[in-house]
Amino acid sequence: MSVKHCCSIVLAALVVAPSALALVAQKKSDDRRSWTITAERVYTAEGEAIANGEVVVEGGKIRAVGKGGGGDLKVFAVTPGLVELSMRIDQGFYSVEQSNEVTPQIRALASVDIFDEAWTRAVRGGVTTAMVNVPDRNVVGGLSVVLKTAGDPQPAARVVKADAVLYGAIGSAPSSMNHPAQPRPEDFYSRRPTTRMGVEWEWRKSLFEAAAARVDPKRAKHGDAELQRALDGQLPLMIQAWASQDIRTAVFLVEEARREGWGNPTLIVDAAAEAWREPQLLVRSKASVVLPPFSALGRTRDQAFFALDTASKLDALGVPFALSGHNADALEGRLCYQPGYAMRGGLSFASALAAVTLTPARLVGVDKRVGSIKAGKDADLVLWNGEPFQPSSKVVGVLVDGRLIVDPRPAANAPSTSNK
Amino acid sequence: MLTLLVFAGTALSAVGAPSSAPAPALVTNDATFAVSAKRVLVDGKTVVEDGVVIVERGKVREVLDAKQKAKADGLPRVEHDGWVSAGMIAARSHLGTRGDFDEPKRPVTPEARILDSVDFDHPEFAAALRAGVTTVVVAPSASSLIGGQSVALKTHGRVILDADAHLVIAPAASALRINREPTSFPGAMAMLNAQFEKPQGAVAHAAAGKLPVLIEVSQRDEIARALEFAMTHKLRGALSHAPLAGELAAQVKKSGLAVVLGPFAVGVTPRVFDSVRALAAESVPLAFGLDFGSPPEQLRLSVVMCVRGGLAPELAWNTLTSHPAAILGLQERVGTLRAGCDADLVLWSGPPLELTSRVQGVFVGGVQAWGGQE
Repeated sequence: MSVKHCCSIVLAALVVAPSALALVAQKKSDDRRSWTITAERVYTAEGEAIANGEVVVEGGKIRAVGKGGGGDLKVFAVTPGLVELSMRIDQGFYSVEQSNEVTPQIRALASVDIFDEAWTRAVRGGVTTAMVNVPDRNVVGGLSVVLKTAGDPQPAARVVKADAVLYGAIGSAPSSMNHPAQPRPEDFYSRRPTTRMGVEWEWRKSLFEAAAARVDPKRAKHGDAELQRALDGQLPLMIQAWASQDIRTAVFLVEEARREGWGNPTLIVDAAAEAWREPQLLVRSKASVVLPPFSALGRTRDQAFFALDTASKLDALGVPFALSGHNADALEGRLCYQPGYAMRGGLSFASALAAVTLTPARLVGVDKRVGSIKAGKDADLVLWNGEPFQPSSKVVGVLVDGRLIVDPRPAANAPSTSNK
Repeated sequence: MLTLLVFAGTALSAVGAPSSAPAPALVTNDATFAVSAKRVLVDGKTVVEDGVVIVERGKVREVLDAKQKAKADGLPRVEHDGWVSAGMIAARSHLGTRGDFDEPKRPVTPEARILDSVDFDHPEFAAALRAGVTTVVVAPSASSLIGGQSVALKTHGRVILDADAHLVIAPAASALRINREPTSFPGAMAMLNAQFEKPQGAVAHAAAGKLPVLIEVSQRDEIARALEFAMTHKLRGALSHAPLAGELAAQVKKSGLAVVLGPFAVGVTPRVFDSVRALAAESVPLAFGLDFGSPPEQLRLSVVMCVRGGLAPELAWNTLTSHPAAILGLQERVGTLRAGCDADLVLWSGPPLELTSRVQGVFVGGVQAWGGQE
């Protein structure tokens, strides 16, 4: 039998796959995970800054920090990679399960779109670790996940901590789609809550029922386990509350749980724009705070006014707080600019640095891996061309797990810097 | 009674002038007969010049080259002045269902069988035949989380190859509705995981690896999620749609899943072709499918566009034939003209991956199913 290779099936010549080859080449250079970075200032977030220091990175981890010079990468300053606790990269309604208002068992990880352009934007702005929460359309939204912002294209491979906090919301957002069932239910938005009062009631009911289910197994239902862990303080309870009345509600919720003997929840108030109004409540309830991005004229959501000196007030009272940039869709909203605003409001540099690095890492229990420059931690670093957080300085380099995601060397970014 | 008209090759003077092609006459599958052609495409890699396909009781007995041709002497013969290939396979379609392919009120219906919706006399099957498509998978739609079981069948003769070819699952936005649980990806994954952690019925078959899954996804985040889900539950089968799966080619390879691509419309971005080539470079089994309402001709068109985008022609032909056959576990029956396979033959005016080539006749199981008039 005469057998021929059938190159004649089509006239078109076989084209060698150029982009596939390019991908392979790119992969090889990306694999380098050992660098020595020299800087005039090394801000470790673990104490005094080191002048004329170097950070030695080996195999994706920080091996050593100290005095030195003559590294591969020379920049003005190095800080730890920034940690964002309120990364609002989600797929809208596809990220929040609307068939119920209380969904503690839902995992934010299952809706992460690792290919969203916003991740690139975040990492270019120096964010190397981010927590993704369930959007605020449910009362109890579900479990948040802490991820690296660059690396493997499989979300699971980027996870720093799964089920890091139980996230929910108080305010106008969780009830905003709901309407009364009159004359009869039309869809599953024909339900309560339709008001702030209803949202508060759903929270109290959820926590009460989860506590009650511990003693009466007949009351057990889906999601109890997560709420019970939150009541026990094993899983921080993170509640979005912009306005002061909503922050107060969040505080009263955990205080009720403690008073009634349901447990001892750890409270983190997210987007607490009006934390400055009644900060003593936060001190009293040992709550921590994640502040929203600073905005023009202090206007935020739920008619909450976000004062520029909020961070410095909380700092003076010893309330642990983190700054956040949300999804950084506006350049000035990026997390790397937030410490600058907070410092303008009176915050010290050291506290401002901590509020975007070590404090957020501690709040969600990932500080063994990230949040400061320390031997043994992940090599997540931000390289600056000037003093960090000053208006004239910018992020020129970013390392995530030792991989150089943004290259500070002039040759590497010449075309892009010329535009900025 | 067997009637065989033998028509002379000389009568077909001009290749690609279909109006001059006379209709081959009816052949029953009791017959042993020969089909001779200028070129016989046994599979993507093997072309026999001046060859003869011997058909016996509906199966391919053997393919003879020019030197062995004498062995066919005395057999009734169809002489074709063109190419002969195996029938093409659409690895996913909704032919003959009239859109009756999901249960909108319920997200999980694993026991639903699309076979119950198939109208074998629907003109879409005849259209598929005319396009050279002899085997199709008819699947439930992607608008349910677990839509039910697909069926593999011939487009002629009511031949069912596999009554439960796949369990169709859709961890994708297509299955999310605003008035039915789940409305979200996390809700969908929680529901799917619950189904596969305590599997029953068809889900249990899929979880045990006995029933392949067809996973409907489109965006890359859905692909990543689906791969993780498939690997967690050790599922076998294929991703469906997923035009950018090649941007996760290494992960797709690792999952062991095949990819059922297409249909691609004219104007598809070069990025999609990059993706297809990346999958091919990782040796991921590839096949093509049709959407509800897409003309069956679009199957070949999709693949031809991929060839223009750099896919190797040999591989391209296999994605229409032997790859989907292997994905379905039907490689002994369909997808090639190797001895023992069903005599599903397509008579072409020229090379099948040239768009100017036309289908001039189709045999299914040795029976002439379509005669050449368009």
